[in-house]
Amino acid sequence: MGENGQITSGMYFSGRNLIMTAIGIVIVLFCTLAPSAESVFTKFPKAWTIDLATPLGDFLKFLARKAEIGPFKFSQITRGFGALISQPYEGLKGVVATGFTLYHEEGGKSVIPPMAWTAVTAVFTIVAHHFGDRKLAIGTFATFMFFVVFGIWENAMLTLTLVTVSVLFATFIGLLLGLWGYKSQRINRALQPVYDIMQTLPLFSYLVPMILFFGFGPIASLIATIVFALPPMARVTTQSLQEVHTSVKEFGVMSGCSNRQMNWQVLIPAARKSLLLGVNQVIMLALSVVVISSLIGAGGLGGDVLKALKSLRIGDAVVAGVAVTLMAIVLDRISYAIAMRRPIHWDIAPTWMQRNWLLVKVLLALVGFTGLSFLVPALQLWPDAWVVQAGKSANQMISWISNNFHEQLSGFRDLFIIYLLKPVKLFLTGLPWIGVIAFFGTLGYLLDGWKLALLGIVIFLLIAVGGYWTKAMISLYLVVVSVVFATFIGLLLGILGAVNKPARVFLIAAVDTLQTMPMFVYLIPVVMLFSIGDFPAFVAIVLYAVTPAIRYTISALDRVKPSLIEGGLMSGCSGWQLMTQIKLPLGLPTMLMGLNQVIMLAFGMLVITALVGTRGLEEITLVAIARVQAGDGLLAGLAIAGMAIVFDRYVRAASAIAAYRMGVPNPNKGV
Amino acid sequence: MSSSATPETVLNCIDLWKVFGEGGAKAIAELGPDAPEGAFKERGLIVGARNVNVHVNRGEIFVVMGLSGSGKSTLVRCMTRLHEPTAGQLIVLGQDVTNLSRKELVDIRRNRLSMVFQDFALLPHLTVMGNVAFPLKVQGVDRKTREVKAKEMIDLVGLTGRENYFPDELSGGQQQRVGIARSLTTQPEVWFLDEPFSALDPLIRHDMQLEFLRIQKMLNKSIVFITHDFEEAVRLADRIAIMKNGSVIQQGPPEELVLNPADDYVKEFTKSIPKQKVLRVSAIMGPVDKGALSDVPIKASETVDTVVAQVLMSDGVLAVTDDDNTVVGSIHRRDLVPVIT
Ligand SMILES: Nc1ncnc2c1ncn2[C@@H]1O[C@H](COP(=O)(O)OP(=O)(O)O)[C@@H](O)[C@H]1O
Ligand SMILES: [Mg+2]
Repeated sequence: MGENGQITSGMYFSGRNLIMTAIGIVIVLFCTLAPSAESVFTKFPKAWTIDLATPLGDFLKFLARKAEIGPFKFSQITRGFGALISQPYEGLKGVVATGFTLYHEEGGKSVIPPMAWTAVTAVFTIVAHHFGDRKLAIGTFATFMFFVVFGIWENAMLTLTLVTVSVLFATFIGLLLGLWGYKSQRINRALQPVYDIMQTLPLFSYLVPMILFFGFGPIASLIATIVFALPPMARVTTQSLQEVHTSVKEFGVMSGCSNRQMNWQVLIPAARKSLLLGVNQVIMLALSVVVISSLIGAGGLGGDVLKALKSLRIGDAVVAGVAVTLMAIVLDRISYAIAMRRPIHWDIAPTWMQRNWLLVKVLLALVGFTGLSFLVPALQLWPDAWVVQAGKSANQMISWISNNFHEQLSGFRDLFIIYLLKPVKLFLTGLPWIGVIAFFGTLGYLLDGWKLALLGIVIFLLIAVGGYWTKAMISLYLVVVSVVFATFIGLLLGILGAVNKPARVFLIAAVDTLQTMPMFVYLIPVVMLFSIGDFPAFVAIVLYAVTPAIRYTISALDRVKPSLIEGGLMSGCSGWQLMTQIKLPLGLPTMLMGLNQVIMLAFGMLVITALVGTRGLEEITLVAIARVQAGDGLLAGLAIAGMAIVFDRYVRAASAIAAYRMGVPNPNKGV
Repeated sequence: MSSSATPETVLNCIDLWKVFGEGGAKAIAELGPDAPEGAFKERGLIVGARNVNVHVNRGEIFVVMGLSGSGKSTLVRCMTRLHEPTAGQLIVLGQDVTNLSRKELVDIRRNRLSMVFQDFALLPHLTVMGNVAFPLKVQGVDRKTREVKAKEMIDLVGLTGRENYFPDELSGGQQQRVGIARSLTTQPEVWFLDEPFSALDPLIRHDMQLEFLRIQKMLNKSIVFITHDFEEAVRLADRIAIMKNGSVIQQGPPEELVLNPADDYVKEFTKSIPKQKVLRVSAIMGPVDKGALSDVPIKASETVDTVVAQVLMSDGVLAVTDDDNTVVGSIHRRDLVPVIT
């Protein structure tokens, strides 16, 4: 939104369009309250829907099997791309996870074992120590020990391989796309909505076409991961290149840099810190997605979680979940440490050895431990006998918990279901469709004029026409309830954190951990405690989405200008008045951006909760995978993406208005 | 400047305009050179530089001075074509830069021009050596050769021993020394400095000015130096151009600005600075006086403040000589009166 948009958007609320507002409200009220009888305005008539799923599915199948682009069949192109990715994947997988099996012509076979666990552990520990501190090294070591001791080494290595390969591709492609967007404003503007859809489209919807194009298995999952993790990298790249100081760019021009020299020797190195932070984001996202895409046969730790969840062996799921979380934390901290590293000069001219000290250490460890493992086999492969079977005892412990606390837990759950979830669900699904659309239209108009209104109306109308209305309302109800709840909790905790130092330290640590946990992992404890259904889904969404609410509230309150606070104190405000009269209103624009994040995360988690049996659009996307119904899966996914985008734009507009009214800078400027 | 030969002009701006926004050239043609700021604003345009006519002689320090936002950076960026001038002509080293091809432009930038930036603009991932050698690396000069050249420049700016440091291990003053060394590795003929010392503390700024003068004495470049600090301008300049709202409102040697400010805007600057710091002895001396004392002659090119003590202590008339020790005039205590009050 531009400078002008900001000002006009303020005016929509300031009375000039009062008539419009009144008309809108009347329509909304009329449509929601008046029609008791069934009419075409309450329930979207079946006859008006259009089956888009079947032709879309057929088209995708046609693409996958028969379509030709120029001299090539489309399937050859996809297969070629698959091969490009499968080479490094298979190679790395053989080296760290499974080893290589060679079949001889005479029928025998020989096996080259994978790298010794000691060697892998040593390498990661050394890297962690090189870039980070002792604590990070110890944490890394402990994490890899966890993998061996609990007997999930091979799967952990498989996950690590998937993450590595997808991060490499996503980073590289993202970098190129980002550079392209940086070079041309027009391209950049054209790419933004594509990224929006790529990021909001539920993961499951990606998976079906991937299965069609690449078959069930790790390659499809890798490609889905790459596609999913790519937009943030591209965005970060464009933005951080834009943020490189003008003078640095001018220096490049004045030195007579060619285009290529400018890109690779000036811009990208100058932006390297932000770019590496982008890579850090890509790693976290990739890990999260790789784990989920075990659904289509990628294997690894995600497969463990999934299998255990399906057979309700929660203990095993917990072990795998902890492993995933530990891996996430280690990868996050190491990549962060690399991004934040400051170059230090050498006092005397360094020798080759000194300059490549990390490489030397890593090679020494590799050779050393590989050699040793020939003498001591336990250094190569952790003996089965030493594996701690934590799963079983954890399973027992959990059944003990659910046996003893069953009543409390289910009582708690039922309370929420009866007094919160059920009523809201009934209310939302019972709303006449035309009323809902009128509501979004009016709200959009009030927030930012007819363009935004049109966006809301068109998207919800498309959902109705596609035949997904009821499912969409079920999704919406879960999101709305969770968002309201998460925002409320986040606001309270955030205020607490803003005024109380120890609480703040604790909250920030908790938020950090929650945010590094891959989405999939959230399902484990909620299923453990509350079984399946809407309530565990609700809890998972709230837990996942509460983090930005806390974080943004704290930072919004921190950022209120001290001079304004002093002004308040001088005019005799009490602490409570200071908070409610000054800090909260002034922090509102930033907090609304936090709300935006809450909503986006809620939609993200909503999709995953299909695994614990929610019944909205997300269920369609999940079922579509099993039945390979690409059309249905994609459309339902687009419906979710559409709703997410509507909320995103509405909240951004609200934030801009709040910023304008409070006279503070618009927090979503430049987006 | 000596009056004997007309000095060679290395850079000449003729009716140069920079108007930011679409349709700038058309607006200039329609509105004319004296149109008020508002007329451009109405069309959504911002005037960066307005009808500028300045030139730079070989070997001189030409200072562009003005308040922040007066268009100094815009002007210097037009001179290097970092900004495309909207109208007017620009001759640099005998070439009409306004219609050079991209290749010619790259060529002239690589070999004959260079620039120093207010915020240093160092590359964070390279060492001092890497930064200083960078302009040569871009040209494909081999590592050995370019590091030898770079080392020379690093020594020149007094950073010997810091070759392996990274920019964020250096102080601001040291970083700008790197910036200066880097801009000199390609041995440019015209040297642009956009407020090079404005980001530095006053004490360090003063050191850097002296350092800059020392380097200039050795290299004798043709220099365009931007500053918003009149004292700095006076200390360094052979000639000063004063800018306001994009226009150059007065240009000439420092003495001239101080003695005859063109308007109140210029007068405001000159007021802040003691006259004896600006005026040279030549500006206030009397005619050659046979009876003048000449045992400790006074140089005509010195600024008055450096000789005040000597003149005040002496009772009689003192001889003034030029750089070749030829007597060119005389000075007496009473000549100081209009200057030091
Ligand atoms: N890229 C640009 N686009 C639009 N306006 C600009 C741009 N660069 C500078 N300006 C405007 O031109 C005027 C002169 O700016 P500048 O040359 O940077 O001043 P100075 O260097 O003297 O502080 C200012 O009003 C500034 O806002
Ligand atoms: Mg400037």
